[in-house]
Amino acid sequence: MSIKKISKEELSQLVSTLIASGDRVEGVQAKDDKFAFGPLTSADDLRLDYDVTLLSPRKYVLPPVESLMTFEVGGRYQSEYDTEKLTLIGVHPYDMIALNQIDQVFSQDEVDNHYTTRRKNMTLIACDVVTPSENVFASSMGTATVSEGYDILLTDIGDAYVADAPTEKGQALLCNAADATAEDLAKRQAVQERNQSDLNRHPLNCKIEDLPQLLEKAYDHPVWEEKAASCFSCGSCNQVCPTCYCFNVQDDVSWDLKSGTRSRAWDGCLLENFANVAGDHNFRKKRNDRFRHRLYRKGKYVPEKLGIGTACVGCGRCITACVPGIANPVDIYNTLLNDIKL
Amino acid sequence: MSECCCGEKDIYLPELATITRMQHMNETELFLHLELDSGKELGHMPGQFVEVSVAGIGEAPISNTSSPTKSGFDLVVRKIGRVTNAIHAMKEGDKLGIRGPLGHGYPLEDMKGKDLVFICGGIGLVPQRSLINYVLDKPEDFGKVAILFGAASFEQRLYQDQLARWAQNDKVQLLETIDKPHPEWSGNVGVVTTIMNQIDIDLANAISLICGPPIMYKFVIMSLEQANVSNENIFVNLERRMKCGVGKCGHCQINHHYACQSGPVFRYSDLSDIPEAI
Amino acid sequence: MSKPRVAIFDFACCEGCQLQIVNLEEEILDLLGVVDVVEWREAMSEQSEAYDIAIIEGSITRPEDEERIKDIRSKASILIALGACASIGGVNKLKNNFDLNDVKKCVYGDAADMPHLETAMTKAVDEVVKVDFKIQGCPVEHDELTYVLRSLLIGKTPEIPDYPVCVECKAKGNICRWEYSEQCLGPITRAGCGARCPSANNRCFGCRGYVDNPNVDAAKDVFEKYGLTVEDLKSRMVLFGSKQGPTL
Repeated sequence: MSIKKISKEELSQLVSTLIASGDRVEGVQAKDDKFAFGPLTSADDLRLDYDVTLLSPRKYVLPPVESLMTFEVGGRYQSEYDTEKLTLIGVHPYDMIALNQIDQVFSQDEVDNHYTTRRKNMTLIACDVVTPSENVFASSMGTATVSEGYDILLTDIGDAYVADAPTEKGQALLCNAADATAEDLAKRQAVQERNQSDLNRHPLNCKIEDLPQLLEKAYDHPVWEEKAASCFSCGSCNQVCPTCYCFNVQDDVSWDLKSGTRSRAWDGCLLENFANVAGDHNFRKKRNDRFRHRLYRKGKYVPEKLGIGTACVGCGRCITACVPGIANPVDIYNTLLNDIKL
Repeated sequence: MSECCCGEKDIYLPELATITRMQHMNETELFLHLELDSGKELGHMPGQFVEVSVAGIGEAPISNTSSPTKSGFDLVVRKIGRVTNAIHAMKEGDKLGIRGPLGHGYPLEDMKGKDLVFICGGIGLVPQRSLINYVLDKPEDFGKVAILFGAASFEQRLYQDQLARWAQNDKVQLLETIDKPHPEWSGNVGVVTTIMNQIDIDLANAISLICGPPIMYKFVIMSLEQANVSNENIFVNLERRMKCGVGKCGHCQINHHYACQSGPVFRYSDLSDIPEAI
Repeated sequence: MSKPRVAIFDFACCEGCQLQIVNLEEEILDLLGVVDVVEWREAMSEQSEAYDIAIIEGSITRPEDEERIKDIRSKASILIALGACASIGGVNKLKNNFDLNDVKKCVYGDAADMPHLETAMTKAVDEVVKVDFKIQGCPVEHDELTYVLRSLLIGKTPEIPDYPVCVECKAKGNICRWEYSEQCLGPITRAGCGARCPSANNRCFGCRGYVDNPNVDAAKDVFEKYGLTVEDLKSRMVLFGSKQGPTL
């Protein structure tokens, strides 16, 4: 299907129709002086001009807590799946790329069908960035624009949106829209080219392809110890990260003490007991080892596992969330670049 | 809420197995023989592990200790955490949830025709037993076997009957030591490296397999390197927090390796630039 | 199998944590389906000397309290400290920062010397007897309280968070209170409350005690970064973090 154009009123109408259908619709809205994804009850609440949301849309594919199964003590385990249909509106390119990465993790090797079931029931409407956030560095990470994963990508060209719908789900929503003109497409290209250079509050002083090689030589660099001295091990950087996906699993029984639920919940590699085994042996006991592990996951381990450029998408949320102000990945990578020859 | 959209199996869902035999080996170790309720064999290879569930308590990774050449499978469970405490309170006929076999076991093809040296500390003997019995059940495929077993104390010597049977096998040289002296013990006293010079096998041309407490690896590997054993011929079995067992949850990572997928058995030469491994 | 007998006792406290048990509403019937409550001054008139599980609210502030808690401990196979006062000493420990005679005069004025007003340095229950499990918070959380009780009833050691409140606060999508320069103790305080105060636009007061290994040096750095002093940090920590000696 060719690329479409819809007016802002038409988009508002489309969102209203989706809400009226009774299906779950979530999108970006104001939350105090920030923005957050949440349930949409009115199309007027949707804010596609937002800078960054407090939490990434990861919370929709991997909820903070979800039930995996129920069980009877001494009896069978029964899988539980979330099959609710969801339309999610307003995913920025860096967050879309993060979702694509997590999709890959949960369908690589052994498929996690709790994840894939939820994901297949989602319709994703992404949008190019209108307002850069205070800490974004997506341009440095090659994540300022996105070319796949969404059902619709909206680009604000002033009085209207250019809407690209590569999937059937997306096309069904845009069936009444007019084709975008060459002039509209030129405006869209201008927005995307601007974002590819301007979403860059923290410029990285190397190419992302160089990060694995840089980290290969940086394991014993003093920066880990220096930064980690101020680290609370509070896991805030993990919690707000759109590409963190580690989880813990826990059982709880009902009051009959005979049946119960096994749930998984977000975990974080910065937390003190993340690598602890029974008998109290902690394989990553030191703060600086945990601190370094996150940066290695983003710059080396996960990229190598998935065959991608970088597992940090440059949203800048960890920079904002870190109270002691030590989490900025670019700051650390640039410090290493000062001392290490590639 | 119960239908998966794609018909794929749930990788987190345990199947039921029944404890058909159990024996307390000492104060902390419990031997279990299990059979899957489906009637099928687990289909594991030596060195693989399973995730064991006690409903309501949780799940824990436990090494398989039996050779796949036998029916059913054996686990040895140390009483050390929530799940293992609960298992110790169970009785024959009780049911456990099982996921597996999981992980990467011993590379049997690479070991064919070779002499094998098993260096075991404490319950490190447990996963190694799966391979030892496999090897002894297929004597034509492998060379000589040396089993070194170091226990922290006289009381913590595991598998006494099993050790005695191995000692009677012509292919096996069994060497034992305990860390602390005991009035009933006339054998070697000291850590496991103190009996390594008694091995009859030519170490440099053999495969060495190490499993024990985290502190043990470094010292055993140092001794093997002094005996000109190359890193390609050393295999280590590493414990980590293998929570999901399928490379998703992130807890068992050793730098970039997921212990539950690349391991728990690793060729040491693959770990030489992995600082978190040993 | 007979149901475990539970006795609930109070020491120096506001009884708010016991009120949280009353406030379980329908769930209290579920609870009473699996345990026998044999003593609970706040809710019933019966008393008993025979119980399996003792739930203690309140901190130990007088010599006679020490004797009483030792007696309870000797009769209980499991002893649970309920709430901040029992688990960490709670606000009652504030007085440990002052001379006890001054404290008495301040509170009781001319009557301060009366013998029944004798007081001692406040102690958490585990500073006097062994505590098997702690349910933190001022007051305790319903969900954690019921989870701990159900876990004990199936013989499981409950999994209590040893990570900071920030984990739950971020998962809730809250705006960090430090962004408003509020001196929030979330980064060093044990989670389990679902970040109740920050979720209601308040800073964390630290009522659940610290994580096992709080980075107090980092807290000092942060206070400095925001133009505050170590004294400011101390003034925030004394409310729930006072000790037998200096707080910081």
